Amino acid sequence: MSSAHLSVKDALYEAPGPKSRRAIRIATAISIVLIIALIYAIIRQFYITGQLSPKYWSFFTRWTTWRFLGAGLLGTFEAAMLSGVLALSAGFLIMLCRISTNKVLSMIGRAYIQFTRGVPTLLFIYFFFLAVPQFGLKLAAIWKIAIPVAISASGVVAEVLRNGVNAVPKGQREAALSLGMRERAVFYKVIFPQALRYVVPSLIAQLVIVVKDTTYAYIINFPDLMQNAKVLISNYDAMLSIYLVAAVIYILICYMLNKLAEHINNSTKVSVRG
Amino acid sequence: MSMAELLSQYGDKYLLALLTTWKLTALAFLAAFVLGIIITVMRISPIKPLRFLGEFYVQIFRNIPGAALLILLVYALPYLKIVLPYFDCVLIATALIPAAFCSEYLMSGINMIDVGQIEAARALGFTFLQTVRLVIVPQALRSSVISLTSLLVATMLTTALASQVPLNPMDLTGIVAHINTHAVGGITAFIISAVLYLLTALIIGFAGNMIDKKVRIRR
Repeated sequence: MSSAHLSVKDALYEAPGPKSRRAIRIATAISIVLIIALIYAIIRQFYITGQLSPKYWSFFTRWTTWRFLGAGLLGTFEAAMLSGVLALSAGFLIMLCRISTNKVLSMIGRAYIQFTRGVPTLLFIYFFFLAVPQFGLKLAAIWKIAIPVAISASGVVAEVLRNGVNAVPKGQREAALSLGMRERAVFYKVIFPQALRYVVPSLIAQLVIVVKDTTYAYIINFPDLMQNAKVLISNYDAMLSIYLVAAVIYILICYMLNKLAEHINNSTKVSVRG
Repeated sequence: MSMAELLSQYGDKYLLALLTTWKLTALAFLAAFVLGIIITVMRISPIKPLRFLGEFYVQIFRNIPGAALLILLVYALPYLKIVLPYFDCVLIATALIPAAFCSEYLMSGINMIDVGQIEAARALGFTFLQTVRLVIVPQALRSSVISLTSLLVATMLTTALASQVPLNPMDLTGIVAHINTHAVGGITAFIISAVLYLLTALIIGFAGNMIDKKVRIRR
């Protein structure tokens, strides 16, 4: 009866006896020592190469440094938001194609999804950076990063939305149809709103990928966090510290987005099943 | 440039690029897989600091953008007197990130195992490592084939990072950027690379499905 609530991780060991308690204690002590040694080795390497010197870190106490990084962060958000909206719209259309009863549309949807999931984002970015201008089409920098990132994400978004639509119980559609609603109304008023609720966590997880992909904005000189970090580096001649801080900022943003997705996932699970 | 012109002029370079992408993908995936297993064992071990370290690793490398990691490895590490060849930097970046996802997939594979099996193993007197090696890992691997297949594709997509450093021979993305900055390759240059990526992804997906059909545990 208890096993229903246990996860595998918990079930792996029961309350250890004296012998294994001692073994665990020793292993814990050893691993703490090793981790401390690792941290020490890293700090030492920073120290002996002079990277801990204040000239590499002191400018982080200046307001202007953070304002500049903040401006870059804003650029990242702008690009990610634009890209997210584009990916969601395109993903929705592709999903409609994919679930369509029309064989040709369905094939197109399937091919598009396969294509975007099998080709790297960078190839799309270079396409918009190098090939699109060859046709005389001039795009603003933000579109040059937002469109390829959106294309790359849209296939997965379509699949996520489709999974949501498939997760809505069949009875919902049948009930709505028997009430005399038309197919179109059934989809937009009954099925899709519920589907969207199911997939919000997965969509946020996809947004994380979009945020990460906007890092390539430096290729087209769009002022995002990475690009502004680069400018700071040439100002202060401090490559390691600035790139490290930029990486940590990215990690924190993505971490928080992932946590948000997890949180929504846990809370909706309860309300939907209840 | 027409397809024929491109292929006659750059055909062998494309072939080399495809092989480079394959090589990077295979090596990175292998490394990520081994690292992923080690991290997963750490995350389920009874030793708290190791659990923490495993969790920490996953959170860092799940959330760091590939470009940021590669730039750190290529341009920032030399300031710590650690200078790695470009190829190694790309390989490390494309291995460290998928390793975190590999561990996530294995964890969910583990959570699908019936708790009774572990209780049975313990009742038989298996030690922790025996339980992990003989009961958990084989089953977790068998139920993670599909996610590992998509991880392999994701690893292949990550290897496009190689285009961000000067590499010889170039990878499939690097060569397109190269052709288009030296000549007018047009769309065709992109299509060739895209098709090669796509074919690789399809082959991987196909193989993954075959393996999954063979080894999946029906519950």
